[in-house]
Amino acid sequence: MPEYWIGDADGRVLGPVSLDVVQDLVNTGRLTQITRASVDGRNWGVPASFPEVMALLLNAPSAESLLESERQEAGRVREQLRGMQDRPPHEIFRLERNASVDAYRNAFFKLVKRFYPDRVRAQAHPELRKAYSDAFQFLSRLMVHIERDLSAGVPVSPLPVVRVVPPPPPLEDEPLAPVPTPAQPARPLTVVPRTRTPAPRPGPIATPPAEGTYSYQPHEFVGFVRRDDRVEVTIKVTARNSGMFTEHPLANLKSDGFYLACPKSLPLGTLVDVIFRFDDDRREVRSRGRVIVENTGGDPARPHGFGVRFITLVEQDRRFMQQFVERTTAR
Amino acid sequence: MSDRPILIVDDDAFVRTLLRDMLAGHGYELREAENGREALALPGPPPRVVLLDLLMPQMSGMEALGLIRDRWPETPVLVISSMDSDRLVQEALEAGATGYITKPFHPVEIASAVERALAL
Repeated sequence: MPEYWIGDADGRVLGPVSLDVVQDLVNTGRLTQITRASVDGRNWGVPASFPEVMALLLNAPSAESLLESERQEAGRVREQLRGMQDRPPHEIFRLERNASVDAYRNAFFKLVKRFYPDRVRAQAHPELRKAYSDAFQFLSRLMVHIERDLSAGVPVSPLPVVRVVPPPPPLEDEPLAPVPTPAQPARPLTVVPRTRTPAPRPGPIATPPAEGTYSYQPHEFVGFVRRDDRVEVTIKVTARNSGMFTEHPLANLKSDGFYLACPKSLPLGTLVDVIFRFDDDRREVRSRGRVIVENTGGDPARPHGFGVRFITLVEQDRRFMQQFVERTTAR
Repeated sequence: MSDRPILIVDDDAFVRTLLRDMLAGHGYELREAENGREALALPGPPPRVVLLDLLMPQMSGMEALGLIRDRWPETPVLVISSMDSDRLVQEALEAGATGYITKPFHPVEIASAVERALAL
């Protein structure tokens, strides 16, 4: 079978892979920018030089058909989720009833990533985004529940789903003797079992939480960047603007973040690659974070801008920044 | 503890940082390379495990995988990629990858995959 090397706009290369793989990646939107191709990894040409590669790009689904297939996929995910909610955990993960925690974790990671929220493209059908999010949340809660059962030495039980009939409101002159509950429709309520540990706060993972303290929520999954929504910010840090690390109550260095005062804010949740340039110290610090606070005028007490919480920050860089702040505030 | 390192090969400095931070707490000796060419040029003993991205400049991960298998045949290679096509996974495994982890990854997943690879 012929093999291909594919190059993207960032100069990165994938290959050798079969044309089937290229087709898979194009059709699922994983590969959107093919700038060059090769059949030997040495001699490169534009995609148009390879009619079979070009055909894949030209036949890539249109925006309309992508939306429609995403809507259908959302329906399938909802159905799958309903099916999972009615099955015991070992069946959901296709494991033996007495599987180990490692086996559960492996199966969980394989299954849950399909529903990782950022895997859907920025313009994806909202129903698909919601369906993925619901499926991810269900599986995350289930995994925490499984770990709790196994660490307690008891067989893995299904995630409790409790249907609660709200008690009737007290009536005036109600006799003290018990009375039948008035007929009223039951309101299903999903009760999430309490975990033994609080959900970890997002932040640098230089000091990871001890095993067994994870919530398996999406923010703990890292290393995936949807390249269509990442923003790169370069900030020249001086003594005059070092307040970005200290002045905002939510986004400051002690809470693993900073607040950048600027006329244009970024939407909540935006992934930001930050480069801090400390020219006086001839040092550059790179980090990645998410926007957790935005102020477009709603908070008149603070300047327009946005606050970021770090996803990753090397401990050594954090110490340097802390020392920088202490030095500048002492002046 | 062996002084043979775990080698992280990824062109994205952030991903290398994430992986390094996840594994540092486990006491492993860690080394990094930005691409396959740099990884193969590293001096010293063979790494205990290689964590390898697939989409990289200069030399693709699949090419690096073949060369790493030739140079360090006993070293397990875990591919880590955002490309989650089943066929690509199959082709990577056929090319000699020990395992395939799709991005995004979780600290528990990385630690457990490395432990399994070390136990081979």
